[in-house]
Amino acid sequence: MDTLTQLVSGFSVALSPENLLFVFVGVLAGTIIGILPGLGPMTAIALMIPIAFGMDPTTAIIMLAGVYYGAVFGGSTSSILLNAPGIAGTVATSFDGYPMARDGRAGKALAVAAIASFVGGTVGVVGLMLIAPTLSKVAVSFGPAEYFGLMVLGLTAVVSLAGKNVTKGLISAVVGVIIALVGIDSATGTLRFTFDRPELYEGIDFLIVALGVFALAEVFVLLSRRGHGGAQGGVTSLRLSKREVRAMTPSALRGSVLGFFTGVLPGAGATVASFLSYSTEKRIASDGDTFGSGNIKGVAAPEAGNNGAAIGSFVPLLTLGVPGSGTTAILLGALLVLGVQPGPMMLEQHPGVFWGVVASMYIGSIVLLILNLPLIPLFAKVLNTPKAVLLPLVVVFCVMGVYGLSFSVFDLWLLIGFGVLGFLMRANSFPAAPLILGLILGGLMERNMRQALQISGGDWSVFVTQPIPAVLLGLAAASLLPTVIGLIRRRRERADREREVPAA
Amino acid sequence: MSGTRARARAVPAVFAASALVLAGCGAEGASDSGEWSPQQPIEITAPADTGGGWDTLARTSSRIMEDAGLVDQSVQVVNKPGGGGAIGWSYIANNAGDPHKLFVTSPPILFVPLAGESDYDHSDFTPISRLATEYMTYLVPADSPMDTFDDLVGELEDDPGAVSVAGGSAPGSMDHVALAGAADAAGVDAGELNYVAFDGGGEATTALLGGHVDAAVSGAGESMELIEAGEVKALAVSAPERVGVLPDVPTLTELGVDFTFDIWRGVMGPPDMSQEEISYYESVFAEMMEQDSWKEESSKLGWTDTYQDSAEFEAFLDEKHTEFVDILDEVGLQ
Repeated sequence: MDTLTQLVSGFSVALSPENLLFVFVGVLAGTIIGILPGLGPMTAIALMIPIAFGMDPTTAIIMLAGVYYGAVFGGSTSSILLNAPGIAGTVATSFDGYPMARDGRAGKALAVAAIASFVGGTVGVVGLMLIAPTLSKVAVSFGPAEYFGLMVLGLTAVVSLAGKNVTKGLISAVVGVIIALVGIDSATGTLRFTFDRPELYEGIDFLIVALGVFALAEVFVLLSRRGHGGAQGGVTSLRLSKREVRAMTPSALRGSVLGFFTGVLPGAGATVASFLSYSTEKRIASDGDTFGSGNIKGVAAPEAGNNGAAIGSFVPLLTLGVPGSGTTAILLGALLVLGVQPGPMMLEQHPGVFWGVVASMYIGSIVLLILNLPLIPLFAKVLNTPKAVLLPLVVVFCVMGVYGLSFSVFDLWLLIGFGVLGFLMRANSFPAAPLILGLILGGLMERNMRQALQISGGDWSVFVTQPIPAVLLGLAAASLLPTVIGLIRRRRERADREREVPAA
Repeated sequence: MSGTRARARAVPAVFAASALVLAGCGAEGASDSGEWSPQQPIEITAPADTGGGWDTLARTSSRIMEDAGLVDQSVQVVNKPGGGGAIGWSYIANNAGDPHKLFVTSPPILFVPLAGESDYDHSDFTPISRLATEYMTYLVPADSPMDTFDDLVGELEDDPGAVSVAGGSAPGSMDHVALAGAADAAGVDAGELNYVAFDGGGEATTALLGGHVDAAVSGAGESMELIEAGEVKALAVSAPERVGVLPDVPTLTELGVDFTFDIWRGVMGPPDMSQEEISYYESVFAEMMEQDSWKEESSKLGWTDTYQDSAEFEAFLDEKHTEFVDILDEVGLQ
């Protein structure tokens, strides 16, 4: 009941005309910035901070939070329409979103993304409201050994993302892990694969790889086909049939919950959440084998997941004062300057701020939905653009996005390199999704493994004697079992056949 | 190798700048005033992404300078991320003698070159002003059996490798040196420390809160709240005297450990600036720090004002450089 009265007072804060206006401003600005590749939530918040100065702290946080989840949402639009993920958290959305758009179902894909985001956001806010203080304990219960287990479990998704040829999927994933190794090794400070280029010291930005192997490679593929295939003009309605709603609802709900809890973990974040939601759904769904060719569940799950995670990442920020990601780190900086110190005492010292933010997130999710559903037909019109105009635009988009990250021409060469790599992979039917997965999770896996071993003094048993890592690694092994058994059975059958041949 | 190449590129600029300096000296001799003021918009480079510590400093300074009308020109912030600062520094170095291009700086200008990851080091640039400082705290979880810095030293003396200490920067960088320097001064073998590098102070603190590591080093500003709330215990602070935000935490020197560590923040310019240009900026930044808006924002960020002018700042940097070389040598990373 205490929560309820607090929440009511929170709504009275959030529903003031001024705060309502700034929720709207924040969400709108976030959505627009998120749509542009390269400009993720981090940039979006950094750009809005000067506006936030001088505002009432609550209003400022409400606006900045709106920018954050607005940007996470906006990123899905370019993922779906152009195969050019606006932000890292929406790469998984492009796996099924882009095929849907190519089938002329862009309107539906965008609608599913909008609704799933709404569901993810709402589930997240409910979680934040009800169990945030308890969850702060969950957030810190994950140390390096636990994260290692989580990343290994995530990596087993390679098998399900690989499609028909598991070997090619594994090769792709290993290439991804190798890309993740570039840069200063955080455990020793050693430079790895940097070839004396300071541009490589901080590693290769994930977005360069994603825009290269997805968007630019797609442009190359369309060019090589000289006018055949590619996005089809017809943008159908965004109305979903009852069957479609029934199909996507459980996926969105599961994605929301999984995403929220992943977001609560400071070391994981929206990107990992969207991949985990996607691969989990692919395994659970009865029609899992159609994932990757335009299944609406494959759009709903990661979109619910990344929005749930965006809200979830507020748990460690608000209850511990610990930023779980680069984005929340910027948010923390902004809060400090505004005179609000998030942390264990925030609920006591600034209850108005905390509950105002929670309430504004409810409102923000609704604003996001109202804002975006009517815009979908407009966005989807992008696909009616003639290819001669659209393809150069996609290239400009990619170049802008990458250049905006670092203002470095070197990164543009990398982008082209990854575009060529992506094209060659496509031409030889190597799937690109495992590469991205290897890149994101592989780097995290390695870092956490080495931190865990550094703490344990080189004792490998930490991964099996602690309950959480042991369970996660056990799940990982179990999830590989069907594939391994399948492989063995096929090999045995082949061996049997070979034995029969000489006998006959 | 690449260093030679980069320097070779900068040579024409250096010549041009030397000419400028000579011209400047001549002018000084000729007129008594020797005043200089910027002729075009001033650019403050943050050699990092938007949103980090350098970016915050650059944007705060530029806003206050403009709002208070301390400069006649506009002040723009430019982000040059990459290489832990190296990309931004080489940009400034390639603009030698251009007094309109400043950059914000802090201890990495010493650490990154020491790690061999930058072609330029602090001596390549013109120190303008040191502005503010934050200090390190040495933390343990609330339920740790260690209550004092002496307890930590005791554990470390027994078996330095058995005590895992988290920090938010790579080995050989800021947090590690703050730990190693203190340990060394307390008589512990700094080369045997079990330093666990995390990606940023937030991750390191989280690992400490979850009890995954035994101790952590972290900036006083970012850990202030957790200390007040009793989630972690602060054993010591690396300041020369107790800091305002943490009045109950003893300094290392108080505890008989002769070591201080500053996370200082300051402003530097490109190589070859004239004395007039330096003086101009010195007074602008000194005035900036007198503004109420600066005092308000810096205290919220947990910074202590520790202004130094160009000459003092340069001496300070050289002194710290020597000190860090010794510590890294002790740890076996140099």
